[in-house]
Amino acid sequence: MQPLIKDMIRVTALTRTYGSFKALDAVDLSVAPGEFVTLLGPSGSGKSTLLNLISGMTEPTAGKIEINGKDATNQPTNQRGLGMVFQNYALMPHMTVFENVAFPLRVRKMPKSEIETRVRDVLRLIQLDHVADRKPKQLSGGQQQRISLARCIVYRPSIILMDEPLGALDKKLREDMQLEIKRLHAELGITMIYVTHDQEEALAMSDRIVLMRKGRIEQQGKPEDLYFRPDTLFTADFLGSSNLLKGKINSTARSLDTAYGTFPLPTARSDEPISGEAVLMIRPESMRLVSDKASAPGAGLEATVRDSIVLGSFVRHFLELPGGKRMIVQEPSGASISRPARGSTVRIGWDLDDARLLPTDPDFQNV
Amino acid sequence: MSDTKPYLDRWTGLALLLPMAALLAVFFVLPLARTIWQSVYEYGFTLRAYEMLLTSTLFWKVLQTTFAISFTATIVALLAGYPVALHLSRLPPSRRMPYLVMVMLPFWTSILVKSFALIVLLGYDGIINNALSFISGQDIHIPMVFNRVGAILGMTNYLLPFMILSILSSLLTQDVNLGRAAEVMGASRFTIFRRITLPLSMPGVLAGVLISFTLSIGMYITPALLGGRQDMMMANLIDFYTRQTLDWPLASAIAVVLLFVSGVLVAMLGKVRGSAGMREMSR
Repeated sequence: MQPLIKDMIRVTALTRTYGSFKALDAVDLSVAPGEFVTLLGPSGSGKSTLLNLISGMTEPTAGKIEINGKDATNQPTNQRGLGMVFQNYALMPHMTVFENVAFPLRVRKMPKSEIETRVRDVLRLIQLDHVADRKPKQLSGGQQQRISLARCIVYRPSIILMDEPLGALDKKLREDMQLEIKRLHAELGITMIYVTHDQEEALAMSDRIVLMRKGRIEQQGKPEDLYFRPDTLFTADFLGSSNLLKGKINSTARSLDTAYGTFPLPTARSDEPISGEAVLMIRPESMRLVSDKASAPGAGLEATVRDSIVLGSFVRHFLELPGGKRMIVQEPSGASISRPARGSTVRIGWDLDDARLLPTDPDFQNV
Repeated sequence: MSDTKPYLDRWTGLALLLPMAALLAVFFVLPLARTIWQSVYEYGFTLRAYEMLLTSTLFWKVLQTTFAISFTATIVALLAGYPVALHLSRLPPSRRMPYLVMVMLPFWTSILVKSFALIVLLGYDGIINNALSFISGQDIHIPMVFNRVGAILGMTNYLLPFMILSILSSLLTQDVNLGRAAEVMGASRFTIFRRITLPLSMPGVLAGVLISFTLSIGMYITPALLGGRQDMMMANLIDFYTRQTLDWPLASAIAVVLLFVSGVLVAMLGKVRGSAGMREMSR
């Protein structure tokens, strides 16, 4: 029996090298139909290389690419049936908006009347039917990117690749466009592969985030998995801010001996480090200020307040441990909030299982 | 940016322009004014020279030849230059450099030397004819110089760098993602060229054509050395009236006509370069 959900895209041991530099190093990835997958990572992590390999604009050094169940490893770009949105929109400056959107349909030799209907429909879908006769340069950046989205949607590709599509837009517009892209994704059910280096964007938009580092997949999962249950220091550091305490595992007492005291370890996981050096990671919002040591759920770590600021719906305390190590604690705010005075001493606590024990990493020496 | 102070104030700017302006005034504007004056003044104001020109069969024939040769040489340069420019535009910058030097090389060579080199290459017993004879085993003497073909080949050889550089600069301003986007959308290479690359390179093509044509109509040495007796161009006609018949007013009148035609072409060139389309595409 055929499996019900076939992979829309499956890459196996995909590798691309430039001289001795491994831009992509034996990556395996599957994308389900209708899924919104974000390739996240710093520049040079291989996320754009992976996207370009899927689109066919870059040839793989080794490995296999399957699109919709068929081997596409050596298929020319123009036969892969994909859609792609670029950061700089890539609209044809000499064509009107209408002609730009009609271009992929004309390539497909569609009858004129159908082109007309389809283009009008898709321009209405993105609420830009009134600019059909203008040139792209006469539109704002946000409008241009919506046109380039429309140019993809109009020929109904089963997969749309997006290469930092919102990178050139300002913050407000970017948030509007995120919603617009999510809406189109939900309405049309198109599989989307989205490349970005912006962690907030990745968290806000994705069904699944694939975090990349040095040409490999560091960790993948739902946004909340990556954020609250990182497996590595790199993941913890790349997504949001985190408090890190390095020490030596005491496996009999199930605690971590650090320069700032001994802390109990969270409930054991199968993949966590069991001996030697390790790092305890606690998100600022998983920490809170506690009144005395006895009631501290975590360790009751003592710290000096450097600053405490109200950021609307939450308060952020910037603290310093003896020895100068900095910690951030974030608590929900409210009308009755009272902030600790600068220079005063406070105690930090956290729920045992909100902490995460992570292996050390040579790239994160100064933890 | 209107509130920023100019880098040079007005008087410094004018002072810096003075040496060049003086040089041009003495060695260009003055002789030019004299030429124009000479074309209309012989013991009093007269339009005799222009009357003679307009009624002269020779003048009209030479004008026609000039345009025909210039047009053909320009088109040949365009057809030969476009593929070169296209290829260069697709090379990575580091690999483009040596080829660009090869394109520029003729620029640094005297036109006289180039013309004689072409005679050696294309002549009756030239390298090409000798090679063909050697390969075929027969006596081959294709006439390639001292006729229209020679004139056009020589001129095209001179025009190619201008044509290639104009087209190349326009191709290089094109966003590479346009082609990529079109490819992902399913367009073939030919469609991408026809619908995107070619139309977007038109400003460069037009500029190259106008530069080439303007340079062609004033050419003197190349058609004189490589062309046949039938291939007399305007500049050669001026030479003929200046040195053979010593009719300087007539020679001046031809020069003025030539200058006028070139002026019109240069004005058109400025329009192509300054047009909104060009600016938009080269953003």
